[in-house]
Amino acid sequence: MDIQNLLIISVGAIFISNFVLSRFLGLCPYIGVSKQLDSALGMGMAVVFVMSIASLFTWMIYYYFLEPSSANLIFKLFRNQLDSPPDLRYLQTIAFILVIATLVQFVEMVIQKTSPGLYRSLGIYLPLITTNCAVLGVAFLNIDSDYNFIESIVNGFASGVGFTLALVLMAGLREKLEMANVPKAMKGAPIAFIMAGLMSLAFMGFSGLSFG
Amino acid sequence: MSVGKEFIKGMVRENPVFRLLLGLCPVLATSSSVMNAIGMGVSVIFVLVASNTLVSLLRNFIPPKIRIPIYISIIATFVTVVDLIMAGFFPDLHKSLGMFIKLIVVNCIILGRAEAFASKNNTFYAIIDGLGMGIGFTFSMIIIATIRELLGNGTWLNMPVFGTQFEPVLIFVLAPGAFITLGFIIGGMNWLDHRRAAIATKS
Amino acid sequence: MKEIFKFALVLGLVTGIAACALGVVNQITQPRIALQQQLALNAGLYRVLPGSENGCIIEQHLDGLNMYYTGYLNRDTTDFIGYALPVESKGYSSTIRTLVGLDSLRNIISLKILFQQETPGLGTKCEEVRPGETEPWFQYQFKGLFVPDVALDKNGGSIHCITGATITSAAITDAVKESSVKLFSEL
Repeated sequence: MDIQNLLIISVGAIFISNFVLSRFLGLCPYIGVSKQLDSALGMGMAVVFVMSIASLFTWMIYYYFLEPSSANLIFKLFRNQLDSPPDLRYLQTIAFILVIATLVQFVEMVIQKTSPGLYRSLGIYLPLITTNCAVLGVAFLNIDSDYNFIESIVNGFASGVGFTLALVLMAGLREKLEMANVPKAMKGAPIAFIMAGLMSLAFMGFSGLSFG
Repeated sequence: MSVGKEFIKGMVRENPVFRLLLGLCPVLATSSSVMNAIGMGVSVIFVLVASNTLVSLLRNFIPPKIRIPIYISIIATFVTVVDLIMAGFFPDLHKSLGMFIKLIVVNCIILGRAEAFASKNNTFYAIIDGLGMGIGFTFSMIIIATIRELLGNGTWLNMPVFGTQFEPVLIFVLAPGAFITLGFIIGGMNWLDHRRAAIATKS
Repeated sequence: MKEIFKFALVLGLVTGIAACALGVVNQITQPRIALQQQLALNAGLYRVLPGSENGCIIEQHLDGLNMYYTGYLNRDTTDFIGYALPVESKGYSSTIRTLVGLDSLRNIISLKILFQQETPGLGTKCEEVRPGETEPWFQYQFKGLFVPDVALDKNGGSIHCITGATITSAAITDAVKESSVKLFSEL
């Protein structure tokens, strides 16, 4: 396995094209759950976890069921009836979102049964994750970038870490901001957006990192 | 319940973008030009009206416990329809909106309206609600895109506005500009609200 | 337990209907999408192999390369114009697909970017047409260059970098050079 390549993917997903600050994915929780550091960390952990396994499952679904290739399982099963692998890529969106929704539900059930402590801290964030576009976004990105199985999982994990980083930084800033004297009209979301803009500006500095 | 009121609420009072802060990802990601904003807006209107209609029609048949997965399936179907039609007929727009067309599936506005409105009201009002919210969303996107395209590129709908002397403020078409523009617009709307409230209490 | 089966049935039914509906829409739109892709490719090919719109273009395959095209002024494949080579390179935020037209003397006839999703305002300038000009300035720079001479100005060549988009500029330039050299070495 090409470790260097995986490292490049990780650094790219965490810093250079940070999911929140450069790709604009997962903004709803970014603004909604960044008021306190604790909840930001909880949300971040849940997202890292879900994004990693979502990358794993959506990649397999795409590769083994949707893509018209010789690895397509539908083609393998019905080899007698079909002359070429079926192109089911148009079902990508609906298949991915249903897989993610099921996955989130399943993870919630498993955590609830096995670890009540973890459930108390992560549980409330899990239902929110289904409609977090970062999860579906990473699934599409894996496919669009032609990542292989391992690369997809690494990308999913690193993107989640990037999301958590942005979220936790934001929460830290917003906790400090409670003390600051912000004009009344700019309190809350408006100032959060402007801070996000400045953070995004800072993250653009990472684009200087290039790998030759 | 009046038709006009249901239609208008999505524009200002319950504007999904500026008031409810919903569906922000596409708003920020695809508002770097007015053309993209219109394309995105029209796609969202279509999906919103179609899913509101179907959810409202089926509202008495959907078992409440599994309503969310069913809503998601319905929405995903319409999104794919938009995606395919756009790829076939507007390839340039499809190219520049990219992944964000497919990501309409997880746009909180659409699931939100299905859950909060369409599942409880008759089809006619559901359509009106979808249209109002969709137009409110499109309108907000066009406002943000106008500011970003004018300042960041010196053009509006790809037409040069300021002449050759104008040096574009590049930052506005980049990611930071999107956040800052939205922040100031919401701040401005809050400021107007406070002023209106202050005037109301005085008189 | 009975309830779960009922739910599974309902959900299965809904997704089944959705999949069928999408299958129908896909059947209708697929020819259009294929046509659009073909049109975009043709427009690119005519651009990099000028004169071929009245002649003909033939798809060719080589072992080491995926494929390339040869263009002729006449329909009976006489009067050779040059080769058109599809090039893919990893840009800053997307895979950039370029079509490069080459004559038999290893000079670049013309360059056309078919697909890119680079940073708006920076990387996307690789397709920018300056006011008063008719062709994208970045791609125009490649016209007439001898393949081994293709390089960015900072590496001693003549291609001016796009301001703020070094990665995009380098990705296109390097990939065009590398693929062209490879094509000529295998012909």
